[in-house]
Amino acid sequence: MNVIYATLGFLGVYAYVSFASLLWGGIDRKLVARMQRRVGPPLFQPFYDFLKLVSKESIIPRDANRLFELSPVFALAASITLLAYTPLGFEPLFGTKGDVILFVYLLTTIGFLRVLGAVSSGSPYAQLGAQREMIILASREAPMMLGLFTILWRLKELGVTKPFSMGTFYEHNIWELGTPLSLIGTLILLFVFMAWLASEIEVGFFDIPEAETELAEGTMAEYSGRHLALFELANAIKAFVSASLVVVVFFPWGISQYLGLTGLPAMAIELLFHTLKVFVVLFVSMSVFRAVTGRLRITQAVGMFWTRLLPASIVGAILLAIDALGVIV
Amino acid sequence: MNVLPFMIIIPLLGAFATPIVGLAGRRAREAWAVLVSGATLGVAGKVLYDLWSTGKVLVYTLGARSPLGEGGFPIRIVWELDLLSGIMAFTIAFVAFLAIVYSLEYMSHDTGLEKYYTLALILELGMLGIVMTGDLFNFYVFLEIMSIASYALVAFRNDTWEGIEAGIKYMFVGSLASSFILLGIALLYGEYGTLTMAYLAKLMGENFTLTAKIALALLMGGLLFKSGAVPVHMWLADAHPAAPSSISAMLSGLVIKAGGLYVMARIAFSVFGLGVNLKTLGWVIILFACLTLIVGNAMAIVQTDMKRLFAFSSVGQVGYILLGFGIGLAAYGTDVGRVATAGAIYHIVNHALMKALLFMVAGAILHQVGSKNLNELSGLARTMPKTTAALIVGSAAIIGLPPLNGFAGKWLIYESSALFNPFLAAIAIIGTAFCTAAYIRVLYTFLGRPSERVMGAKEPGNAMLVPMFILVVAIIVMGLFPWAISEKVMVPAASMLANIKGYITAVLGGA
Repeated sequence: MNVIYATLGFLGVYAYVSFASLLWGGIDRKLVARMQRRVGPPLFQPFYDFLKLVSKESIIPRDANRLFELSPVFALAASITLLAYTPLGFEPLFGTKGDVILFVYLLTTIGFLRVLGAVSSGSPYAQLGAQREMIILASREAPMMLGLFTILWRLKELGVTKPFSMGTFYEHNIWELGTPLSLIGTLILLFVFMAWLASEIEVGFFDIPEAETELAEGTMAEYSGRHLALFELANAIKAFVSASLVVVVFFPWGISQYLGLTGLPAMAIELLFHTLKVFVVLFVSMSVFRAVTGRLRITQAVGMFWTRLLPASIVGAILLAIDALGVIV
Repeated sequence: MNVLPFMIIIPLLGAFATPIVGLAGRRAREAWAVLVSGATLGVAGKVLYDLWSTGKVLVYTLGARSPLGEGGFPIRIVWELDLLSGIMAFTIAFVAFLAIVYSLEYMSHDTGLEKYYTLALILELGMLGIVMTGDLFNFYVFLEIMSIASYALVAFRNDTWEGIEAGIKYMFVGSLASSFILLGIALLYGEYGTLTMAYLAKLMGENFTLTAKIALALLMGGLLFKSGAVPVHMWLADAHPAAPSSISAMLSGLVIKAGGLYVMARIAFSVFGLGVNLKTLGWVIILFACLTLIVGNAMAIVQTDMKRLFAFSSVGQVGYILLGFGIGLAAYGTDVGRVATAGAIYHIVNHALMKALLFMVAGAILHQVGSKNLNELSGLARTMPKTTAALIVGSAAIIGLPPLNGFAGKWLIYESSALFNPFLAAIAIIGTAFCTAAYIRVLYTFLGRPSERVMGAKEPGNAMLVPMFILVVAIIVMGLFPWAISEKVMVPAASMLANIKGYITAVLGGA
């Protein structure tokens, strides 16, 4: 019975996140337009785009193999699966101990499937984009994983029921420590996570694999119709999920206890509040970042990950570790 | 009825009768080879089930009811199987069966096939004998049966230069390694006067001498060679590409494990376990494991020949198994040690399946396209989608991606090595990173723009596709129940392997 309820809840979450993430796409475009003194598209523009793409003919290049058609489906499947392990204001539906590795794995898989799809198209533009995506993929996850695992390890020390699971953050959060050292470490990691988020959703500095003006859409160059729609939806969900990770690591506070709600209404209100936080995080990391910065070259971006963000992440992790050891009180 | 002897009788009869049956024509010969290896698989399955359900060490004495003579010590050859032997025997019979089915089509253009099937069955026989035996000299005989069959099979295509070259290289150094092993056995016999493993273990527990240490060093040296560990891995990178792919599948999936890793575990735990300082021995193995992990996987990245790449990747994977056994020895008697041993056993089975699959894929491509150079094979996914699908599953499994079987075995090894010594876990992770890079490169090539060379390629026939897809299904199904398999099979096997006293008393009785 539990499994059935969980599955129903999962479907509900999927429907909700699909809606919310596409809606955010519209809000983002509107906001960026306003920043540049344009009127911008209507809020529901991504929905129209999606529907139009679905109804259009999908063109399969002559040199493409089967994975070209399969990888958008797999990418969407991976992002839907990811929702089962994403904290959305309440503990993930299928959360269990150690599920953080599954979370990172699935998140990376979506990027990797984009690469596979692009390589399978046989187009040199897409292949160039795929190579760049692969390089970025290999570079960007290290700082994030270091930060995430450090924080989870630190929270485990405080005593949690399911160590190294995404639900952990609702039992304790990293600000609770309150010591100056942990505060500095956490702020550094927050910076790393915001930069990671920008690169995960490929905006601003990190709009490299798609690089519209330079590489003619890069990885997505050959996709059209349904297949592109699936990828767009998967990307939108991925953006929402990535931002959810940042929200849950750094801003996991809920509001239901203040409103005196329990049960299903509490979950609903938490979900809405979580969505609001996700939008705020995405506003900073996506809209503002996208509007005020240009694209980096691939070498610069990789250099940034390995020489700026990874060291920052290491420093943050060391500060948290020193704090845990209690050397400096 | 005790089916155990039939594990030797059937392949032996099959191998010896193949030249006669072969007189009846090609079809009869092929049907015979499939029948014999299929029957062996059935027997191995029964033996594994017996071992697993009873949880006891199975002892079979040749020539009498009891291995003990009137003096109260074992005088006869015994076969002694614990759960690890059962798992090995079943894996061997399973992969060998698939490889023989695969050869029906793959080898159809070659001549001298009655010799081929005879040798293939003898190879299977040798490996089964190694995992069954409880007698050191008997082990040596089976090792030589296996080795000589594999020398002959590596050089089977004797009209190609590389077959002959690899065969000579493999034979020269392989014979040297075998003679090290024989010398070690001779020293042990001179010192203790017995060749029964269980009795030898008991005597060693009472009096562990310098000669025994020297014998151990010789045995380990020979066995590291047979398993393709790093300073002595060079034969493997030549032999695997040169052999027919059905044989590479057996060499890489089985020979290095039955003739090298299994025996190493057996000798380290069951024979020398009571005498030698297990911590030292464990760390020696760990040292070789780390070298093997790094060198094997790193060398896999730079290869342009597909089968060479798989061969080096086999070296790298042997590193994980050695690491598991090394930690199992160094942390003997602890939970970490047991988990590491279970991980090593698990990875033996997993790697046998995945590497057999990958070599079969390579064979199918070689058979259809006529090239194993990765630079020429771009875009093969378009013309051989099923083969490429098998390749993707195989390489994802070998990297250790969660829904497939490679994950659980490697996870146990990572986890135990991280608990044992974080430095070792870091080395294991670096090895996996290299491995990932190597396989992603292969994938990139296969998915890219089709080159002219591959445009005319077709999927192989059913005799080649079906074994490949049986392996794919096995990999996926094993991947769906990793912890059940680990709890119910691998951990008990590891406990049985670590139970040295149990191994001894199974032969000697209460004595």
